[in-house]
Amino acid sequence: MFLALLELKAARGRFLLMGSVVVLVAALVGIVSGFTTGLGDDTVSALRRLPATHIAFAAGTDSDQFARGLIDRRSADGWRREKGVEATPLGVALTRGTTDRHVEVDLAAFGVVPGAFTDPGAEDGKPLDTAEPYGVVVSRQLASDGVRLGDTLTVDRIGIRLKVVGTTGRSSYGHVPAAYVTTDTWRRIRFTTPGTDARPGDLPLQYSAMALKLPADFGGKRLTDADHRHRTATVPLQDAFAAAPGYQGERLTMTSIQTFLFLIAPLVVGAFFAVWTVQRTPELALLRAMGASRRRLLGHTLAQAAAVVVAGTAVGAALASALGLFVGERVPFSLPATTLAATMAAVALVGLAGSAFTLRRVTTVDPMTMLGAAR
Amino acid sequence: MTLCLDDITVTLGRGAYRTTALRSLSAVFQEGLLTALVGPSGSGKSTLLAVAGALLRPDEGQILLGGTDLAALSDRERARARRTRIGYMFQSGNLLTGLTTEEQLLAAASVAGHRPRAVRDRARDLLAEVGLAHRLRHRPDQLSGGERQRVALARALLVRPELLLVDEPTAAVDRTRADDLTRLIARTTHEHGCVTLVATHDPVVVEAADRTIVMLDHMSASTV
Repeated sequence: MFLALLELKAARGRFLLMGSVVVLVAALVGIVSGFTTGLGDDTVSALRRLPATHIAFAAGTDSDQFARGLIDRRSADGWRREKGVEATPLGVALTRGTTDRHVEVDLAAFGVVPGAFTDPGAEDGKPLDTAEPYGVVVSRQLASDGVRLGDTLTVDRIGIRLKVVGTTGRSSYGHVPAAYVTTDTWRRIRFTTPGTDARPGDLPLQYSAMALKLPADFGGKRLTDADHRHRTATVPLQDAFAAAPGYQGERLTMTSIQTFLFLIAPLVVGAFFAVWTVQRTPELALLRAMGASRRRLLGHTLAQAAAVVVAGTAVGAALASALGLFVGERVPFSLPATTLAATMAAVALVGLAGSAFTLRRVTTVDPMTMLGAAR
Repeated sequence: MTLCLDDITVTLGRGAYRTTALRSLSAVFQEGLLTALVGPSGSGKSTLLAVAGALLRPDEGQILLGGTDLAALSDRERARARRTRIGYMFQSGNLLTGLTTEEQLLAAASVAGHRPRAVRDRARDLLAEVGLAHRLRHRPDQLSGGERQRVALARALLVRPELLLVDEPTAAVDRTRADDLTRLIARTTHEHGCVTLVATHDPVVVEAADRTIVMLDHMSASTV
C-alpha cells in the first residue's frame, strides 16, 4: 500500500487527469440517472401512487390505452361484481385550464370516485366530495404553478368551472400535473363538445380504465376469464405505465444513454491503466527483480485503480447531487440517495472491471528485462 | 557466507532460437570479496548474475547461498530470497520514476516487508555513506548518472544483502564518477561483508576487484 501511495503521489498529475475523467463519467451517469428517474416520475407518478394492483383497459387497445380505450358501464359493473376484487372506475384526460387569477395551467384530469381507494384525499383543504361535484384537488405541482385553494379553475374551450378545494402530493401524468375530480366531472371534461353544455346524464357512462385491487390468487386463467367476460385487458400497475404518453420512448432513450455510459466507463478507465501499465513496465520489472511478488504488484495496481475510481466516482456523485439541488423543481430531475448509491456503485464496479483488463500484463512482467539477459 | 555455483547450465530461447547461455559453470564466491565478471558481450555474464540472483532458474546445477539451493526454490520462495537476501544494482533503470532519493529506499524496504518508518534512519545513514545525504529530496531526473547508481547501491544495501549483484555499474557515467563508484562498491563490499559480483567491461573495476572471472564461450575460462 505504501508503494501504491508513493506512486500515486509521484504521478499525481496523471492520476488527477484520470480521476477527472472518472468524475465526469460518474457525474454524467448520475445526471442521466436523475433525469431518467425524474422524467419517469413526471410521466407516471400519478399512476405510481395509485394503490391499485392492476389496471383493466378496454380490450383491443394496445397503446396509449388511457386516451384511446374506454371502459363501458357493463364492463365496469362486471368488475365491481367480481368476488374478492376491489374495482373502481378511473378517468384520465389531458386538458388545460385558467384560474380566475389568470394563471394558465396544463392539467391531467384524473376522474376518481370520492372515497374510493383511488381518491388521493387532500394534504391541504378538503378531499373530493360527491356533494360538491365541481371540486378539484390539485397536485402540489399545480399549487407551485400558482393555483391556490379557493381558486376557480375554468377548463379551456368547454368552460367547466372547477373549484380548487384541496391540494395533494406531487403527482403528474405525461409531464402534466394531476388534478383529481369526480368521475362525473371527468366525464364532462372528456366528452363535452366545445360550445355545448351537456349534463352528466347525457354523457356516455364510460371511463378510461378500471383500477383494480386483485387478491393474490386472482391471476392466470381466472384473470383471463374475467377479462374475457368483461371485454377488458388487465395488466399489472407497473405495466400500465407503458400506457402513459411517451413513457416507453423516454425510458428507452435514457436507458440507452446510461447503457452506453456504462460501456464507455470501463473502456476509458481500462485504456488509461493499459497505457499507464505499459509506461511503467520497466519499473514493474524492477520491482519484480527486487522481490515484489505478483500478488503484491496486483494488489498495488488494484489499490491505485480503486483509489482513482472510488474517489472519482464519489466526486462525480457529489456533482450530480449538486446539480439536482441547483435545478430544484424547475426540471424533472430526481436522484434519491438509494438510486444515486446504486448508480455510483455500478460506475465504480465497471471502472474497476476496466482496470482489470491490465492485470494480466502486470503479473507477466519479466524481471529478467532489468539485466538485458541477451547480452 | 559463500555463494557456490555447482555445474550450472542455462539454456535460453526455444526451438531454433535455443542457445546455451551457461555451460557446466562452477565457482565459489566468498563473503567480503568483490568479484569482477569479464568477457565479451554474449559470453554469459548477465546470465550468471541472473542465475545467482534467483531471477532465472538453471536447467541443471545448484546455486547454494549460505547453504540454501536457490535453484530448488519455488517462484514465491525465490522472490522472497530476492527481497531479503540479495541486492541488485542494474546498469540502468534502477530507480522508480517520480520518487525522491529517500523514497527509493523506503519503497525497497516496503517491498522487503519492512515498515518504511522503521528503516528511515538506516536509509538516511546509507545515503550518507554513499555521499548523497544532501540529495534526499531529489528525484531521479534531478540526479546525475553516478548519483543514480549510488542511490541504487544504497537501496541494495538496505536489506543487508548476503549477495550483491552489480551489472555494468560504470557503463553510463564519466571516468571520474566511474572511479568513485568503483571504489565505493569495493569499500561497501568489504565493510558490509557481502558476496559481490560485478559484470563489467571496465578495466578500472577489474583492477579494484579482489578476484576476476573471465567468461568465454559461456564458461568461466579462467580465474585471476
